[in-house]
Amino acid sequence: MKLEEIKPGQEVMILNLSGKEDILEKIKAMGLRKGRKIALIQKVGRNLLLKVDNSRIVISREIAKNIEVQ
Amino acid sequence: MKTIRVALAGNPNVGKTSLLNHLAGTNLKVGNWPGVTVEKKEGKVKFWDYEIHLIDLPGIYTLEPLSEDEWVAYNYLTTEKPDLILNVIETPNMERDLLLTVELLELEIPMILVLNMVDEAQKLGIEVREERLSDLLGVRVLKTNARTGEGVKALLPHIVEVFNSKEKPKALRYSKELEEVLQKAMETGQETKAKLIRKLSTEDRFKEYRESLKRIYAKDVYEIVKDERYATAHGIYKEVVIRRSLTARDITDSIDKLLLHPWFGIPIFLLVMFLVFKISFDFSSPFMDWIDGFIKDFLSPLTLQALDAIGVGEIIKRVVAEAIIGGVGFVFTFLPLIAVIYFMLSLLEFSGYLPRIAFLMDRFMHRLGLHGKSLVPLLLGFGCNVPAIVATKTLETKRDKLLVIAMIPFMSCPARLVVFSFFAVIFFKNPATVIFSLYLLGILTALLTAFVLRKTLFRGSLYHFVMELPPYRLPTLRLLLRVVWVYVKDFLYRAGTLIFAASVVIWLLLNLPPGVKNPSESIAGYIGKTISPIFAPLGLDDWRMSTSLIPAFLAREIVLSSMATIYAVESQEDKKEFNALKALKEQGISLLLAFKEAFINLFNPVPTAFEVEEGSVDGLKGIIAKSLSPASGLAFMVFLLLYTSCLGTVAVMWREAGKRFALLFLAYSFAVGWFFGLLAYRIGSLIWST
Repeated sequence: MKLEEIKPGQEVMILNLSGKEDILEKIKAMGLRKGRKIALIQKVGRNLLLKVDNSRIVISREIAKNIEVQ
Repeated sequence: MKTIRVALAGNPNVGKTSLLNHLAGTNLKVGNWPGVTVEKKEGKVKFWDYEIHLIDLPGIYTLEPLSEDEWVAYNYLTTEKPDLILNVIETPNMERDLLLTVELLELEIPMILVLNMVDEAQKLGIEVREERLSDLLGVRVLKTNARTGEGVKALLPHIVEVFNSKEKPKALRYSKELEEVLQKAMETGQETKAKLIRKLSTEDRFKEYRESLKRIYAKDVYEIVKDERYATAHGIYKEVVIRRSLTARDITDSIDKLLLHPWFGIPIFLLVMFLVFKISFDFSSPFMDWIDGFIKDFLSPLTLQALDAIGVGEIIKRVVAEAIIGGVGFVFTFLPLIAVIYFMLSLLEFSGYLPRIAFLMDRFMHRLGLHGKSLVPLLLGFGCNVPAIVATKTLETKRDKLLVIAMIPFMSCPARLVVFSFFAVIFFKNPATVIFSLYLLGILTALLTAFVLRKTLFRGSLYHFVMELPPYRLPTLRLLLRVVWVYVKDFLYRAGTLIFAASVVIWLLLNLPPGVKNPSESIAGYIGKTISPIFAPLGLDDWRMSTSLIPAFLAREIVLSSMATIYAVESQEDKKEFNALKALKEQGISLLLAFKEAFINLFNPVPTAFEVEEGSVDGLKGIIAKSLSPASGLAFMVFLLLYTSCLGTVAVMWREAGKRFALLFLAYSFAVGWFFGLLAYRIGSLIWST
């Protein structure tokens, strides 16, 4: 399942990040990595608000499309 | 005295700037990194026999730079090589932050690890074994609370000791196979781990080694190194952090439930913005009036009296009175407004609400091809274009930043309102509608400008929205006041240099050749007459109108006083007896009254700053009503709305976006103003011709 498809309140684990964009390296460094548990707090407009460990991270749907979760 | 260069490095929002504020106190400076639009903050502290020079690097998650500010941090660390790195860690997010720590350790520069926000971590059930951490990495580990300043001063002796002993962190050990190859790539024996990794992964002569590693790990060197770094950071984290699961709710989550609510979020945001503007204007306006009065009724007569006593010539007296006090002094009256706006902006920023505005509003903004983060600077533009342009520093890409800077000057500010309310009352029965339409025209022009720029110069697609929302934190008043002071100092510096120079030039234009009695005979008058044909299509063929625009380049509202001079309206300046002591007393009393009024305004629910005062220019109104038609009056307002006739704005644009951009934009705004002025004149002439 793609991260883009899950519902607010759901908690999932990251299986894989694909894509070649530079921005992926940045979001990996922000804590969105394989095997990490994340929760979707909210979807607003083109963006998703995620909770990763103790931080809150906003990413756009375009990026969420490349993230496989379970 | 020895100098120690210390770089503060860490992820965004870890409290580096607050830490720097507590360390450097009032010795803090803001500026720009050379060649880019990224803000540079630095400070100096004298401690023992040392001068400690602190530099706040832009927040980064990794040493693989992407955006402009990340490049700045990367270049500083790798090429300028500070004597010491203060690696600031946000303890609640330690696992993530340790990745950067590992990358910094590869640089093999002496380092101190600062565990910040330890109190927040404890509330979340996170305990750090700092001795173990210190042993593992071979660096000193200190705890601070950058919000209150606790533990911050204790960093100073450690900085000096580490600098003197040159103690280097322990060498990192990655897995055996990788380490072996890195050893083989060593040539001088002096290379840092970072250097070795760069050599190994980029240079042609190490292709063999790369291939051999690829056979062992089944992935590229780049990937191997990255995974090693993550593994090391994770390993350190597991070793030094003890987590207890607490059931206590995170306060930030609760506040976000309301402030980021799908329905209530936006009304709350609008309310917050309304309050920010109301407080900015209402609280500062009594002080602005006071400064104005202080200059006119005290400083100016006092200086003239002093100059008389010394016995200087008439020319010098006039330069001082008209160029310095009139020009620079005028800009000074904006000081309270700028200070209060910065205070409110810093409060929004340090409390953590500012990035949330970007997140909330991006849903609307991105449809216009603008980043959510652009909204705050644009809104601030209605208050004053100058701090609005400075506020674009929060945007990541140069494209987004320049796009917004090109929009801000079309946001109508109170200076324009002064001029509009003067003209609108002369010519129109319903001035409020006219003024409102002018504001709308400004917004439309801004959107049009952005649209054209996106289709031509700034074609790149909208930048991804990737951002961290920091937890809510209440900043201390001391911290906010210090930040405001830093910006005020910067403004004063500019007023004393650039604005001073421009005031003198404009004064000279109005008063040369020597001995001119009337502005019409001066260079400015000559220029005004020469350029008046340009304004003829707008129905403004009177040279007096075009000449009044020259001094108005200092700030738009000057157009009124310069018109008064040029139209030779008698101003009743009564020669009062000036008594310095008595005047000083009066100024003291009126300052107290200003304080009183400011605080009353704060609690008055209705904004008071926009109440239009009927001024002393009544005589001028009559003359203008006779010499201009309503259509040309409208054209004049439209022109002044769109043309960036404001030295402060051009100066800050020059600093933030470069000379070329500032000058080109000035020319563009002139052309747009002229074109829409022409349109307004033509349409107006049709409507009011009968």
